[in-house]
Amino acid sequence: MRRPCILMLFLCFFFVFGCATPPPLTNSEAYNEFKAENDPLEPLNRSVFAFNQSLDKALFQPAARAYRDVVPLWVRQRIDAAIDNLRAPVIFANDLLQGEMKRAMTTLMRFSLNSTFGIAGLNDFAHEIGLKKHDEDFGQTLAVWGSEPGPYVILPVLGPSNPRDAIGRVVDFLVDPFNAWTANTGREELTYARTGVAALHARAGLLEFTDDLEKNAIDLYAATRSLYRQTRDDAISNGNAAGADVSSAPSDFPDLADSADNKELSGKP
Amino acid sequence: MQRSIYALIAIIVFAFTPPAHATGLEEGAVAFIHALEKEAVDSLTDPAKERPARVQAFRALFEEKFAVEAIGKWTLGRNWRRANEDEQKEFLALFEDLMVAMYVDRFQNYAGEKLNILKTTPVDKNRATVHTEIQRPEGVDAKPISVLWRVGRQGDIYKVLDVVVEGASMSITLQKEFASIIKNTGSVAGLLEELRKKTAQLNPS
Repeated sequence: MRRPCILMLFLCFFFVFGCATPPPLTNSEAYNEFKAENDPLEPLNRSVFAFNQSLDKALFQPAARAYRDVVPLWVRQRIDAAIDNLRAPVIFANDLLQGEMKRAMTTLMRFSLNSTFGIAGLNDFAHEIGLKKHDEDFGQTLAVWGSEPGPYVILPVLGPSNPRDAIGRVVDFLVDPFNAWTANTGREELTYARTGVAALHARAGLLEFTDDLEKNAIDLYAATRSLYRQTRDDAISNGNAAGADVSSAPSDFPDLADSADNKELSGKP
Repeated sequence: MQRSIYALIAIIVFAFTPPAHATGLEEGAVAFIHALEKEAVDSLTDPAKERPARVQAFRALFEEKFAVEAIGKWTLGRNWRRANEDEQKEFLALFEDLMVAMYVDRFQNYAGEKLNILKTTPVDKNRATVHTEIQRPEGVDAKPISVLWRVGRQGDIYKVLDVVVEGASMSITLQKEFASIIKNTGSVAGLLEELRKKTAQLNPS
C-alpha cells in the first residue's frame, strides 16, 4: 500500500510543476490553438518523451534491429501469426462491444481456423482464404461509445497515449483470457514472455517508419503527437476518417494555372 | 400511360446520370496519379544518377505535380498572416527546398514497387481523393501501405494537394510541427531558421 502512495505523491508533484501556462483569454487565436492541441502537460510530456527516446535508442531499437536481422523471416511470420491469434479474443470482444457484427464474425472465423488448420495459430491460414486481419482495442470501443480522449499524455516507456486509451490498455490486459489463465494457474511468466515478444516484434515492425520520422521530423515531439492522433482517429473509424476528412487539401490553389513562374505551364493559355 | 412511362424512364436516366461537375474529374485524377508514378520511376530509379542529379530531377517533378505554394500556405495556417511579405517569400522557397529534400529519398525508396489504385472519391467539383496501396515485397514487416492522394484540378491541369499515408496527412503533420516551432521560438523567423537547418541536414554536401 505504501508504494502507490509514493507514486501518487510523485504524480501530484509532476502535475503541479509540469503544466503549461495557457495563453491569456484575450489572445483568442492562441488560446483556441492551445485548447485544440489539448496538451496541458506539454513540458512534462516533453521530458518523458526525451527519456523514452533515449531508452528506445539505447535498448529497444538495437534489440529490434537484432531481432529483425537475426531471426529468419519464416520464424518472424510464425511469431506474427501467433501474437495475432492470442489477441483474437480481445479483438472479438471489442468488435462486439462496438456493434460490428461482420468484423466480429471475421475475427471469430480467423481464430477458429488459425487455431486448428493454422496449427495453434502459427500460420495465418484465414488470410489465405480472404479473411483479412484487423485490430481493435478498448480505447477504440470507448471512442465509439462517445468518450473524449482527454489530454495528450506520454507514458513512461509505453509512449503516446491519453486517459481514454490508457484505460483501454488496462481493460484489454485484464479481460484477456490468456493472461487470466496464466494468472490463475501460477504461470505469470508466460504473460511476461508474451508481452515482451509482442513488444519486440511490434517495435521491429515500426523500424522503417520511425527511422524515416526521426530523420525527417523538424519537431519530433509535435510530429509524433499529431501522428498519434491522426492514426488513432483512423483506427477508431476503421480506416474511414482519412478518406472523409479533406480539410488538409487546400480548396484554393491559385498556383495551379496562373502562376507566372510555373515553367511547364507557360505554353498554356 | 405511355407518357408516364417516358417520364419514368426520364427520371431513371436522370437519377443515374452523374452530376455534370463530376465529369472526367475522377478519370483525370487517376490518369494523373499513373503519370506521376511513371515519371517518378523514370527519373528516380536510374542507379547511375548521383544524389544531386536525382534531387534536381525530383525538384522538377515536384514543381510540376504538386501545388507547392498552396500546400505551403496551408501548412503555415494562421501564421501566414502573421508573417511579413519577405518572410512569406522566404518561407515558400524554404518549404519547397525542404519538401524536395524529404521526399526525394521517400520516392526513391518506393519507386518501382507496385502502386495499386483502389478507388477514387470526389471531394467537390475540382478536387478528388485517389485511394492507392503500395504493395511491398514479400515479408512480415512489409504490409501494403495505404496512400491517399488528394488531387486538385484547374482547367485540365492536375496537382497533388496532400498525401495521406496510413491515415496520417502530410500537411496536417507539417502544420502542427510548424505551429509548435513558432510557439516555442516565438516567431516566424524562428521557424525559418529551423527550416534552413533541417534542409542543410537532409542535403549532405
